[in-house]
Amino acid sequence: MKFYLIVLSLLAVCLWGTGNVRAQSASRSMTVTGKVVDQNGAAVTGASVVVAGTTKGTTTGADGAFSLTGVAADARLTVNFIGYKTQTVEIGGRTSFNIVLVEEATAVDEVVVVGYGQVKKSDLTGSVASVKAEKLTDIPANSIDGLLQGRVAGVQVVNSSQDPGASSTVRIRGNSSLNGSNAPLVVIDGFPWGDAGDLKQINPQDIVSMEVLKDASASAIYGSRGANGVILITTRKAQENVTRITLRQQTTVSGFSSELNLWRDPVLMAMLSNESSINAGLTPTYIGATNANGVYYPSIAELQTTWTTNTRWDDLVFRSTPVSNNTTVQVQSSNDRTMFQASANYYLDNGMYIEDTYRKYGGNFSVEHKLLDNLRMKASANITSNKRHNNGGLAYWRNPIFPVYDDEGDYWLYGAQDYSHPLALTDLQKNDSKGLDIISFASVNWDVLPCLNVMAQFNYKHGEQITDKYFPKKYSERGVFNDGYGSIDNWKDDNIVFEAYATFDRTFAEKHRLTVMGGYSYENYQSRSSSLAAKGFINESLGNENLAAGDSETYSIGNSFYKTELVSALTRINYTFDNRFLFTFTARADGSSKFGSNNKWAFFPSGAFSWKMHEERFIRNLNVFDVLKIRASYGISGNQGISAYQTLSRYGQHKYFNGGKWVTAIGPGYQSGTTGQDGIYALWSGIPNKGLKWETTAQVDLGLDMSFFGNRLNVTFDWYDKRTSDLLRERNIAPSSGYDKMWVNDGEIRNRGIELTIDGVAFQNRDWRVGGTFVFSRNRNKVLSLGNAVQTGLKTDLRTGMQYEYYGNQSEQFRAYTNILAVGQPMYVFYGYRTDGIVQSLAEGLSAGLSGDDALPGEFKYVDLYNGDGLETVDENDMCIIGDPNPDWMASLGIDVSWRRFDFSIFFNGVFGNDVLNTKRFDQPSNMPMRWTADNPTNSYPRLNANRQTKLSDWWVEDGSFVRIQTMTLGYSIPFSKKDAARKVRLYVSADNLYTFTGFEGYDPEVGMTGIYSGGYPRLRKWTFGADFTF
Amino acid sequence: MKIKHLILAFGGISLLAACNLDEYPYGFYSEDNFYKTEADAESAVNYIYDAINYIEYSRSIVFLGDMNTDDMEPKGDAAAANKELDGWKINNFRTNTTLGNFYKYSYITINRANAVIKKVPGMNIDEGRRNRFLGEAYFMRAYSYFNLARNFGCVPVHTTPVETLEDTAVPAAESLDAMWKLVIEDFKTAGTLLPFFAAPETGRADRAAAYGMLAKAYLYIASAKEHGVPQYAAMSHDVDEYYAEAVKYAGLVVDNPEQTVFRFDDNLLDIYDVERPAGPEHIFIMSMDRTGESEGQYSKISKMYLPYVSGATIYLKQGDSDEMVPTHDGWGEYRTALSFYDAFAAGDRRHDWLIVDKVYDAAGNVVASTADGKLSYPFCRKFIDPNFAGDKTSTRPYLLRYSDVALTYAEAAGPTAKAYELVNFIRNRAGLGDLEPGLDKKTFRERVMDERRFELAFEGNRCYDLRRWNRLHTDIAEAKGQGLTAEQMVFYPIPSVESDLNPNL
Repeated sequence: MKFYLIVLSLLAVCLWGTGNVRAQSASRSMTVTGKVVDQNGAAVTGASVVVAGTTKGTTTGADGAFSLTGVAADARLTVNFIGYKTQTVEIGGRTSFNIVLVEEATAVDEVVVVGYGQVKKSDLTGSVASVKAEKLTDIPANSIDGLLQGRVAGVQVVNSSQDPGASSTVRIRGNSSLNGSNAPLVVIDGFPWGDAGDLKQINPQDIVSMEVLKDASASAIYGSRGANGVILITTRKAQENVTRITLRQQTTVSGFSSELNLWRDPVLMAMLSNESSINAGLTPTYIGATNANGVYYPSIAELQTTWTTNTRWDDLVFRSTPVSNNTTVQVQSSNDRTMFQASANYYLDNGMYIEDTYRKYGGNFSVEHKLLDNLRMKASANITSNKRHNNGGLAYWRNPIFPVYDDEGDYWLYGAQDYSHPLALTDLQKNDSKGLDIISFASVNWDVLPCLNVMAQFNYKHGEQITDKYFPKKYSERGVFNDGYGSIDNWKDDNIVFEAYATFDRTFAEKHRLTVMGGYSYENYQSRSSSLAAKGFINESLGNENLAAGDSETYSIGNSFYKTELVSALTRINYTFDNRFLFTFTARADGSSKFGSNNKWAFFPSGAFSWKMHEERFIRNLNVFDVLKIRASYGISGNQGISAYQTLSRYGQHKYFNGGKWVTAIGPGYQSGTTGQDGIYALWSGIPNKGLKWETTAQVDLGLDMSFFGNRLNVTFDWYDKRTSDLLRERNIAPSSGYDKMWVNDGEIRNRGIELTIDGVAFQNRDWRVGGTFVFSRNRNKVLSLGNAVQTGLKTDLRTGMQYEYYGNQSEQFRAYTNILAVGQPMYVFYGYRTDGIVQSLAEGLSAGLSGDDALPGEFKYVDLYNGDGLETVDENDMCIIGDPNPDWMASLGIDVSWRRFDFSIFFNGVFGNDVLNTKRFDQPSNMPMRWTADNPTNSYPRLNANRQTKLSDWWVEDGSFVRIQTMTLGYSIPFSKKDAARKVRLYVSADNLYTFTGFEGYDPEVGMTGIYSGGYPRLRKWTFGADFTF
Repeated sequence: MKIKHLILAFGGISLLAACNLDEYPYGFYSEDNFYKTEADAESAVNYIYDAINYIEYSRSIVFLGDMNTDDMEPKGDAAAANKELDGWKINNFRTNTTLGNFYKYSYITINRANAVIKKVPGMNIDEGRRNRFLGEAYFMRAYSYFNLARNFGCVPVHTTPVETLEDTAVPAAESLDAMWKLVIEDFKTAGTLLPFFAAPETGRADRAAAYGMLAKAYLYIASAKEHGVPQYAAMSHDVDEYYAEAVKYAGLVVDNPEQTVFRFDDNLLDIYDVERPAGPEHIFIMSMDRTGESEGQYSKISKMYLPYVSGATIYLKQGDSDEMVPTHDGWGEYRTALSFYDAFAAGDRRHDWLIVDKVYDAAGNVVASTADGKLSYPFCRKFIDPNFAGDKTSTRPYLLRYSDVALTYAEAAGPTAKAYELVNFIRNRAGLGDLEPGLDKKTFRERVMDERRFELAFEGNRCYDLRRWNRLHTDIAEAKGQGLTAEQMVFYPIPSVESDLNPNL
């Protein structure tokens, strides 16, 4: 009801506006024409020319010309164009005008895209950061989101994998969900695409800008998907009356940024190996004898004298200098009615491992056509095909005394269970995937009235992927167990989104500006998958090409389908009083098929207030601030952690052997997980929770924007407090029900922090320009509640009373969970023993409460923290929090210098105060020689002991702080005169990961959210040679 | 108010778009798309049996039936839960994972059975089939409550499937009488509904199984009351009447011309031949097969009994013959106690043939023996699979053997001719002479009790026999050493995970 009233009143207001125009034009009307140009004399297309105080107006054509009839002779014209200062011209009886628009001096009045609309940056009430893509694209990347690292305060990006086509982890203002996604929502040109981190479908060079919506006022318009923040991506569109061809070529050479930590001296390796065995009471390996597998291990003496095999596996496994390529061609052309742009991209990423590659071919086409002066249509399509030949993870660390080939020229193996011969696997194992993605858009934009715009957009996305695998009968673990194993996995998804919204924008009585947007959205997502696998191949020359050739008794097949629907209504109301006080209210109602049947609809409101203090006389008189603006917002957004069908009753199925054959048994309860050591016990679920719903995030944001020195120095500061409740969790239920678990909404997490961005131009003259950006953010994450301790099965730390549960998987190395979620602590803290150096004597070990082998000299001296159990021994009650993988703060500094035609930029990115669990801290060629021995009674390293069951302790935790010279670019632009075919050529060289300052002992401290470092290979340093040609 | 209106307005518009946000299951079964055909019903019945095949249950049968007596020992580095059971660390029982797992899977079975009991009566399928399926569901529910009652006493009683959170927490049976009444009623219902098999079906139960189990239930509470077991002593039933009921129902299995499928197996080794799960002894046996995909479908029970030798295939002698059968070696979890090994009478084949002290290689050379110390204990070979595939075997826990029902009959009946006949068959088959004739009832029952110990060794019975004879606190060294009383041992405590989460307890 209410909505219709709003629509009606909007129409009434518009009519009243047009009526007004008639009243004015009653004096003396005339026709005016003119042309709008910029400071260089170039025509400005699309500028709006409005008779001030009325709704009468037009936009300039391709040549910058405009014509208005029926204009009062004493009226004024207001000329507006994005990025330019607004001009007001008195008509004063003239009929022809040449209006010069002056570019806006600073970024302050850029237009930024917000959800379902755009707004002048100076009119923002929420916390929105804008990034221009051109700053980032000197480094080739598969996906743009990885490049956001360090660029926006409050955005954490972790690129922990260096493999070709690897994805990134993106977080805005911390983690807030335990079982749902923590990744921000990515919206491409209005299309809600999905989780950030793997946006490989969009060529970064087709992107113009990215807006990061951080607070609830900005993100609540995305309702049940807005809680993790939103990244809006605007892709390149043709400009009016421009014909341009751009070619961008990038060639990248990669290499390790640090030395590999490998055994180069087999004698030392063998001596330490023997020492380790002897200390454990085992027979040493290197004694010049054949072991149980029939492999001869030379003695130390032999290694020192006659032994010749010393294979440098890394030379065989790694490419010396992989060269990658990124080529983009863009064409745009337009006339006054139709604009089109097309681009094509070829991207090749050669990884460090031999034959490990990722290729991508992309095409993008968009066209925009003006059907009428006030009716525009747009359509675009983006097609990407990617191909990955995965040959990663090869054993470059293989024992150097092993030869590559045996005497017959076959791959040499140390036994039937040798699954790590890198060349054999490269040769015979298959792991290929191919993907195809299509994203298409069609939209209609109709200026129904000067104050009323209607926009309708239809999006369709299709994605598919096929993965081929084959594991040979020999050499690979899976293949050996299954006598050859081949599989084909298919997956495809389709996503349809229809959205329509109307925007009313009008100023009343000069001081009251009201913008009202109301809209509707429908989304339908479906995905399907199927998988085929066969084992037991007689002849494996076909790999997985003919799965039917496998043993028909052991075929395995699977398929799945997943469908969700989301229906939403949304609105945003902006009210500005006197260009000083700004109010924003947004609301979205989401109905999702995923929610429980008792909770189908969710409502997400937000409100914000901003005061442009610099518009006040008393501030202006200070002559200090160009901008002084305070912002405050509060709102609620959600996270659809639930997956489809999770709220339904669900039966299980299992094969039961009956009547001499396997039959399918079906009934209540399905196996939803495993528990116990090595996951040997089953967990059962299946009772529906009809009340299951979204996670709710309530966020307060207080912000301050300031500009000084003629807008040359800009400062943005934000403080936020974000509380996420109704966490989607599984609770335990009484086992007499026949079930273990059930999904409920329970628990609360808080993220609180500050963000500061300072950017400015330090120096500028005809030749020089020196500018920089400093970004600082600090987030404090805290688990406030994990629900009812009994129902959720929390454990209690006896010493502190802290309640916690394990997070993630058990570590094989420590036979323990490494991370916990603990009430009152940040997410993912490490939980283990404290150490106090190394045990130096048995007496010392025993008196420290250690027993058995743990008390021997050279072992870790674990600390007996808890004596409440009356036991003066080290046991599991002595465990405590030994580290926090969350950074204390993050900061970055980017400096851009240009001198005449040279441009130079350097970007430092730093993460501070995060702990990293370095699981490779001891078992490394560089560290093992520093072991404890009777002659070297160190307190830094334990003795070698092949039998040790190492406990997880603070000994393995290191400070993961680092500052990286993330990128550095030097470019030179060659100018051309108008006669030349080329308009602009820029040549540049850029370095990625030039240098890292850190005290971390492993290769690189940039690891995933849980802070676990597990080796891998050194971070790559990439040199890119690029050339941009514009014709 | 205002917000509510706004939501309604928004909702109204959205509904105009005629969008239905209901979800329909795809790719998985649920109440909505199941229980339509006879095949559905049978599949639901198989799902009941399937629950006890999981290792949480199948391994616990021995942990709760044998490991906790003096006949069996755990290995040195066994899981804490199993060491606690062996050592009767009663303070840890509430959180003991083996007890918790056994408890949980009993109820998973019950819930699956309850679903069949609720849904199948309304199905329009052949009446004979419907009765059989329902009978099997009642049987499995009774079987589970029987085991819960023997181990935990009064436990929560579910007789309808759990469908909502509110259904998950129900009170326990109010008395031991009520608890056992449920067991007896369900076995009786099952017996009425089930047919006698025309031929044994591995992994399914028939009327013989129902009446055999019913006889065991009557014997359990009759003997427990007679022997003054705490709490059982206060039960209301008449001991002699219940002994008579046990005789009656055991008789319907061992002394019934209508029941011809199950009988004694003449050959001791054939009972334990993995290729003969449908042998005449196996009234109720689990159904596993080495071709399964996951443990529970196939079995690793053999690995539990067998000690580690070298990882290579070992060979065992078949009885007194020179025939050899291969098997893998094991993990040595279920270890024969030497005192029990030495307790057998001389010449007992159940000692000489079924407990192994020497293993051979393919050529017939001894590769390990208890004498040379390479075998850490003489092991039970009732569970071996000569056709093992790696760790996968078809070895199946024996849930109800004909000999068990025969001994149940004998113990309940006392020294009757039929009882003597049954006991003597078992003794003769084991190479022993007849039981001395003319024993009084008390002595006769004691001798039957001894016979049960040797005949049913390592099949998950010993602890329950001791328990119903009130002998746990006297016959188990670990319990005696701690001075535990009969009251402390009569039941395991309800697992804490249940009492913490069930406010109705």
